[in-house]
Amino acid sequence: MPNKDAILSFEDLEIHFTLRGQILRAIRGVSLDVARGEALAIVGESGSGKSVFTKSAMGLLDANGSIAGGHIWYDGKDLAAYRTEKEWLTIRGKEIAMVMQDPMTSLNPLKTVGDQILEAVLLHQGLRGEAARQAVLEALAAVGIDDAPRRYRQYPHEFSGGMRQRVVIAIAVACRPKILICDEPTTALDVTIQAQILDLIKQLQKKLDLTTIYITHDLGVVANVADRIAVMYAGDIVEVGRCEEVFYDPKHPYTWALLSSLPQLGVKGQELYSIKGTPPNLFQEVKGDAFAPRNPRALNIDFVERPPFFEVSPTHKARTWLLDPRAPKVEPPELIRHLRQQGGSRHV
Amino acid sequence: MAKYIGKRLLRSLLTLFIIITIVFSLLRLMPVEGYFQNFEKMSSTQIRVGLQQLGLTDPLPVQMAKFWKGVFQGDLGVSHKYRVGVSVLDIIGGKMPLSLSIGLCSLGIALLLGLPLGILMARSTRTRWKIGDRLGTVFVVVIQAVPAAVYYLLIQFYGGRLPGASMFFDAGRPATWLLPIFSLALGNIAYYAMWLRRYMVDESNKDYVKLARAKGVPTAEISRKHIFRNAFVPLVQFIPTSVILTLMGSLYVESLYSIPGMGGLLVTAIQTQDNTLVQALVLIYAAISILGLLVGDILMAILDPRITLGQKEGGR
Amino acid sequence: MALFRYKDSKTQALADHLNETAQRQFTQEELFQFAPYDPDAGERGGYSGYSYWRSTLRAFRKDRTAMFFLCVIALTLLFTFLEPLIPYDRQPNTIYYTERAEINLFTRQPVLDENGDPVVKVSLAKDLAPGKEFWFGTNTIGQDLWSQIWAGTRNSLAIGFAVACVDALLGILVGVLWGYVRKLDFLFTELYNVFDNVPQTLLVIIISYILRPGMGTMIFAMCLTSWLQTARFVRNQVVIIRDRDYNLASRCLGTSTWHIITRNLLPYLVSIITMRMALAIPAAINNEVFITYIGLGVPLETPTLGNLVEAGRKVMSEAALRYQLFIPVIILATITISFYIIGNAFADAADPKNHVN
Repeated sequence: MPNKDAILSFEDLEIHFTLRGQILRAIRGVSLDVARGEALAIVGESGSGKSVFTKSAMGLLDANGSIAGGHIWYDGKDLAAYRTEKEWLTIRGKEIAMVMQDPMTSLNPLKTVGDQILEAVLLHQGLRGEAARQAVLEALAAVGIDDAPRRYRQYPHEFSGGMRQRVVIAIAVACRPKILICDEPTTALDVTIQAQILDLIKQLQKKLDLTTIYITHDLGVVANVADRIAVMYAGDIVEVGRCEEVFYDPKHPYTWALLSSLPQLGVKGQELYSIKGTPPNLFQEVKGDAFAPRNPRALNIDFVERPPFFEVSPTHKARTWLLDPRAPKVEPPELIRHLRQQGGSRHV
Repeated sequence: MAKYIGKRLLRSLLTLFIIITIVFSLLRLMPVEGYFQNFEKMSSTQIRVGLQQLGLTDPLPVQMAKFWKGVFQGDLGVSHKYRVGVSVLDIIGGKMPLSLSIGLCSLGIALLLGLPLGILMARSTRTRWKIGDRLGTVFVVVIQAVPAAVYYLLIQFYGGRLPGASMFFDAGRPATWLLPIFSLALGNIAYYAMWLRRYMVDESNKDYVKLARAKGVPTAEISRKHIFRNAFVPLVQFIPTSVILTLMGSLYVESLYSIPGMGGLLVTAIQTQDNTLVQALVLIYAAISILGLLVGDILMAILDPRITLGQKEGGR
Repeated sequence: MALFRYKDSKTQALADHLNETAQRQFTQEELFQFAPYDPDAGERGGYSGYSYWRSTLRAFRKDRTAMFFLCVIALTLLFTFLEPLIPYDRQPNTIYYTERAEINLFTRQPVLDENGDPVVKVSLAKDLAPGKEFWFGTNTIGQDLWSQIWAGTRNSLAIGFAVACVDALLGILVGVLWGYVRKLDFLFTELYNVFDNVPQTLLVIIISYILRPGMGTMIFAMCLTSWLQTARFVRNQVVIIRDRDYNLASRCLGTSTWHIITRNLLPYLVSIITMRMALAIPAAINNEVFITYIGLGVPLETPTLGNLVEAGRKVMSEAALRYQLFIPVIILATITISFYIIGNAFADAADPKNHVN
């Protein structure tokens, strides 16, 4: 049953892809509630399925992918049962909008920037003519683009990467959505621009009362923007909790490894920590804990049975047998034990 | 924009100059009997004198200079076999309008039929059985793989039996225009359909289409407003090729249907070995091809806002 | 399949190990003890078993149309080259005679001799319909079409293969130079821009017009510019290898140039060359038919598909003689369509983008 407080609720979601004649289990029974108004970050390495996971809520899976089981609850409706385009059009843009990774390719090169925002305005704000044009100009101004009337008539190639991303955000916001999914919104941008874009999204979230879902592999981004973190590994969420809980009191060995590889924790002269090995091949059935083969502290049971979620606090839970009362006591690695002290003095 | 077009124009002229020079030099190697009406009966002295009169014994640069002078004065020499003593430009000039109108008609028909076919095929790739795409592909494959010379023949043969149509051309009877124009258009129809389909499929996988979907634009509208427009632009660069296709096709089609045009003329000139006429026709064909390229580039610059900045993203 | 299992073996090892662990019956205490950790084990999981050539072959094999035409063309080629071994002793260029009953031109009755038997006269075996004696019939000058067609197919294919080979060889050679030697890039690009504008057919016409018609001329004329496209393509690939960020990154990680060439460049290059060669053959046959029509083809004593189609065209208006056009056309179309489809299907299969499904 869907959680009452959640605006969007994933329940035992299974997503399969057909690839080279084989079935790839990209998402393996994931449940997650997204609370109204929060900023949630889904963190994981490339190929962990974080992007696919959120795309499924907009019916934007590639043609060879499909929801094989579970539910996606939104506003009392199960989106996982949606099949026709007509159904999805009631969600896309209108309820959930998206900012994509690469601003260089996500705008139509042959249409003016204004027209591309206008498209969203016409579809979702019910405005026509001059009023619609004004709305576009407002949207441009709202994302911090100066000289909006001139910019309106320009083509994407006349904008820099950061400016294009602002345009993409303007398009998303012009849809007047309730949820904004930001799929690696800053990965393709210069470091100096990244912070500006994140600030902009944060600002808009407050102003427009949006729920935002960030998809990222960059823990720096997460620390800046997220209220809550879900850590994803091999198509499954292994740990979820409030930002400080996951950063300062991580429970899953994969979260430990992920935090250990933060370059900020590197000690001068020493090699940076990196997680040994590669994520499992999802063509094969994963038994037990998917991370076990790469985990130096794996238990025998990790190879046998999938761990359940153990609750650490009402807001914090993790899928690891280490939290089982029968398990031996294991401390997180030395490197990240002092995150709290460090975090106190400066931001991660 | 003007600067870009100027630059392209200059380049086209340069290309034309180089091509003409090369063709001219190559044609100096042509068998000499092509300069005389009754070569077999002439003695070797007569031939030498004749060649001297034509200036063909001069050193190559001198010949070239004379030739270029002639080109600027609108003189490409006289015919030696086809119509003895008549200026080749007069001969060609009389035949060009007909060839042009047939060529342009066929290009128009190619666009008119090729583009809808391409759209149909691209749309059909997303349906379950892809019937439209499959049928269209069969058509494209047959037209592209089977020599045009062969299907032109079959069209003439079977099409000639249709009511009103004829195996031979008669400028006064509009129905007889249909078969040659349609034959000429077929290659381009297949060509446009194939590329438009491919570009539309390519475009539909691009990020901006995904973003358009994400913002809730219906598929049909994405197809119309985003994909078609963007797939159409690179198609413009095939205009030159299709001009060349039409030109070369016209050689065959015109002589097949006895159309008194330029294409048939080249075949006749070759068969009668009229060197001056061959040379002039080759030059004109080269010039038209290059003009086609220029038109394609200019259209591209008009349709694609990125081009003028000289940063041709993507493209072919 | 065992042949291709190599890359999967690592994944398999991991799976075996996991299965073994999973099947072992642990006691409650054992379950919560640390498992032996093998740092290498983690490395094994990530292989998706992707191999370029295997995926290419797989994608190609999945294309049933292409497979069908591959069989067709394989059989046709095999037959074309084995045909001389068939016990059918007709020569392509021999003019045959046949014995026929003489017909009185006025009465249209057989002429009888004094014994009342029909007078038999030896005459040119021309325009005989396909039958027992001449399998594909004879042409207007009494040559055997069956042997003409297969000899013609061999000759046309020879032209096609020759053009395709020169295309590939020159194309790779010039393309690599063009891409690799930076100083040449500008010059070559400008030259390419000029020469790519010359209509190929026009050039073939000029060359054939100037030189003496023959197989050599035909091949030379077609080779003259056809390799330009291949060279351009190879050049672009070389530049990509040289400049693209992912290759730069790959080099920074210590990948040797040799490795980049063999892993990134070569497979793609080989597949594209294969495709271009497959497509060059129908194009060459196409050109040959056209040139023959204009009257600049290979002399008649060398049968080619172009010559046969042209000869058939001349008698096309007579229904009884139409086989002289249709038989060569059917064989020609079979060959060109097959090569065309195979070439394109292979190009699709070789494109990693299509290795998804």
